[in-house]
Amino acid sequence: MILYFLRRLTALLLTMFAASIVVFLVTEIIPGDPASFMMGINADPQAVAALRTELGLDQPVATRYLAWLLGMLQGDFGQSYTYKVPVSELVGDRIMVSLPLTLYALALSTLIAFPAGVISAARRNTTADFAVIGATQLGVAIPNFWFAMLLVLAFAVNLHWFSAGGFPGWDAGFLEGMKALTLPAVALALPQASILARVMRSSLLDTLDEDFVRTARAKGLTRSQTLWRHALRNALIPVLTIVGLQFSFLLAGGIIIENVFYLPGLGRLVFQAITQRDLIVVRSVIILLVFAVVAVTFLVDMAYAAADPRLRRRPR
Amino acid sequence: MTVLSVRDLALTIGDTPILHDIDLEVKAGEILGIVGESGSGKSLTALSIMQLLPRASRWTGGIEVAGNDVGKMSEKALCSMRGRDVAMIFQEPMTALNPVHTIGHQIAETILIHGECSRRQAGERAAALMNRVGLDPERISPNRYPHELSGGQRQRVAIAMAIALRPKLLIADEPTTALDVTTQAQILDLLRSLVRQDRMGLVFITHDLAVISNLADRIAVMREGRVVEAGATDEVFREMRHPYTRALFSASAHVPDRSPVIKRQGEPVLAVRDVVREYPRPRRSLFQAANPFRAVDGVSLDIRYGENVGLVGESGCGKSTLARAILALDRLQQGEILINGQTFSEAGSGPDMKQRAGVQVVFQDPYASFNPRHPVRRLIAEPLYLIENAPEGAEREARIVRALEEVGLEASDADKYIHEFSGGQRQRIAIARALIIEPSLIVLDEAVSALDVSIRAQILDLLAGLSERLGISYLFISHDLSVVRSITDRVLVMREGRIVEEGPTEEVFLAPRHAYTKMLIAATPTLRERSA
Repeated sequence: MILYFLRRLTALLLTMFAASIVVFLVTEIIPGDPASFMMGINADPQAVAALRTELGLDQPVATRYLAWLLGMLQGDFGQSYTYKVPVSELVGDRIMVSLPLTLYALALSTLIAFPAGVISAARRNTTADFAVIGATQLGVAIPNFWFAMLLVLAFAVNLHWFSAGGFPGWDAGFLEGMKALTLPAVALALPQASILARVMRSSLLDTLDEDFVRTARAKGLTRSQTLWRHALRNALIPVLTIVGLQFSFLLAGGIIIENVFYLPGLGRLVFQAITQRDLIVVRSVIILLVFAVVAVTFLVDMAYAAADPRLRRRPR
Repeated sequence: MTVLSVRDLALTIGDTPILHDIDLEVKAGEILGIVGESGSGKSLTALSIMQLLPRASRWTGGIEVAGNDVGKMSEKALCSMRGRDVAMIFQEPMTALNPVHTIGHQIAETILIHGECSRRQAGERAAALMNRVGLDPERISPNRYPHELSGGQRQRVAIAMAIALRPKLLIADEPTTALDVTTQAQILDLLRSLVRQDRMGLVFITHDLAVISNLADRIAVMREGRVVEAGATDEVFREMRHPYTRALFSASAHVPDRSPVIKRQGEPVLAVRDVVREYPRPRRSLFQAANPFRAVDGVSLDIRYGENVGLVGESGCGKSTLARAILALDRLQQGEILINGQTFSEAGSGPDMKQRAGVQVVFQDPYASFNPRHPVRRLIAEPLYLIENAPEGAEREARIVRALEEVGLEASDADKYIHEFSGGQRQRIAIARALIIEPSLIVLDEAVSALDVSIRAQILDLLAGLSERLGISYLFISHDLSVVRSITDRVLVMREGRIVEEGPTEEVFLAPRHAYTKMLIAATPTLRERSA
């Protein structure tokens, strides 16, 4: 188990290193010089050159890469070209919205999907099963921004239970913050829950067909005991994979929902930064997202090992 | 005391009738063998007794287990019956245990689920049970997971789970079919002694007459959902009143007629020289690669023109790895392989594709070894690309038809798809695919192991005829010693990656020299003693 942990950790660090090179090079290749962009179209070439020197853009690529990498390791992501504030501050503010939103949506999605998938598989070909299949089909098909607008109409405009958008900040209190994130989280969770419930159902159905489930029944376990004690844990591996993918997707993929609800999240930040050629922000956000994806993959790998002893490969 | 009585059992699944008028009886301490080919209804008879039938099944008749009529029992009562009064062991030990629970936990679960005692006591009883089925808890900890055990050890765990509450009736559905002969012999001994000690009734289901003839007190022969003959084992084997019983018996002991013509001069068809095949092992340390596992360790062998050579050994001995090396599917670490005197594959370089047409293969599973989306024509014509100036048009068609007819199929079968054929027919198609480019050697890797005895007898006859008519040599790989004995001229015995004994087949079987060969032959169940 320790070896498995170390191997996964090494893979994580190597992936991060490789990703940092790729991200750096890609943002180098993108056309558009930040300095001339900041100075405007009619800028004096000398002033642009001076700005380039000030930003360190005239240094060799390798030097700038190393400076960027070392800076990040010390928590210094550099200065935003357009906002003129440290990137870490900028990103930090946005993460305080995007991360709770992601976790909220993921929690909702899991809480809906697990029972739905289990009921559906346990009562295969019954009304309950067909209801879950129908609902998840709808959930996958409905565009989430449209569903988000329906939510706003129903719960904000008509019922006044929630505000239609915006984020008051965590200073306004935890409950206020969560309240503002509720509708966006529901909108984000719906398609994810639908996918997850379907994966849960089919994985569980496959597992219920396995020989060891028949063995358990032959020992005298009831149908539901067999499901809870033997099938569920074996069915979790594909489900964990999807949960991991969904986390990474939600963290930055919420851009449309962030726009619908006017949330100051990461998705909007990166969108604005791209249009303004604020490469240092783009770069930092991307590397952060890569880190999130790799770290979640690492956690999912650890969860696999916890769920399935065959992956723990203990040295004899 | 009667522990199982089945009267007029009939079963339909959906609209398909499966079982008809089944009558069976088992007394305490008695072993009933149910024997029959695949699809005869053996397993569904067992699942009817357990009441673990698939959905959409309906059954009629009477089933009494330990005096209780299962037809009148609620699902709750059935759950408390299963595991306590009647228990079952299944065929596939690799998948019959839950991979995420420890073996101790799974054995103790039988005891706990029936509310017999506390968790701690159940753990102690599980350890005692492991001892009883021959798994020393000192050596094999109850905290191990199934994947850390061998097939035979897992089957012992399954038996421990089944006998935990001393059921009155034990049903074993092909419990040794997936095991090696030596392991099979141990498991059969274990079951026999458990039945005698606990006075359990045992229903032993198998397709293997040889196994059942040495184990059962009474036998029921099943065919197409009916019991065609039943009685005391000796009586059934002596009298064989039903023609099907006779057919089954003669197919089991079938020896194809052969008069091989072997050319001893000239280059051998296949020459294997000091071949070594290694697999990387998982790392145990972050900084140091593990020593590779040597699956084939310096093997040399020759096969002559027209010669059938058998390769036997238990699972994991390297038989299939050697077969893959001979087919040049994997790279060699040392040594070389020559086809008709030409180098086919050698350490440090890939296969010489020009030689590939000289050797073809037939694998074990007639279901998994074909692409289901291609018609038979395309499936069997595929190897033609291996030869230079492959025939086109009418000549190609003629070759496809000839290959099909050689294996006893018809020209019209070329347009069908693989799902339209039975297992035996599929294996014929696999042989046709190998024949079409007229190879010198066909490697048969457990090619008849998945077939029923009557089909197996037909395929063995076909192979023997083809070898003589076309002068093809075979490397016949099998764990089944009796099949190898019936069709090969020479046999090689493999153990832990090495050939430990080699000689003319009859000589090796009659007077084995190596201790391992002696053990293998002693463990192989035979029909001969009974019928003599």
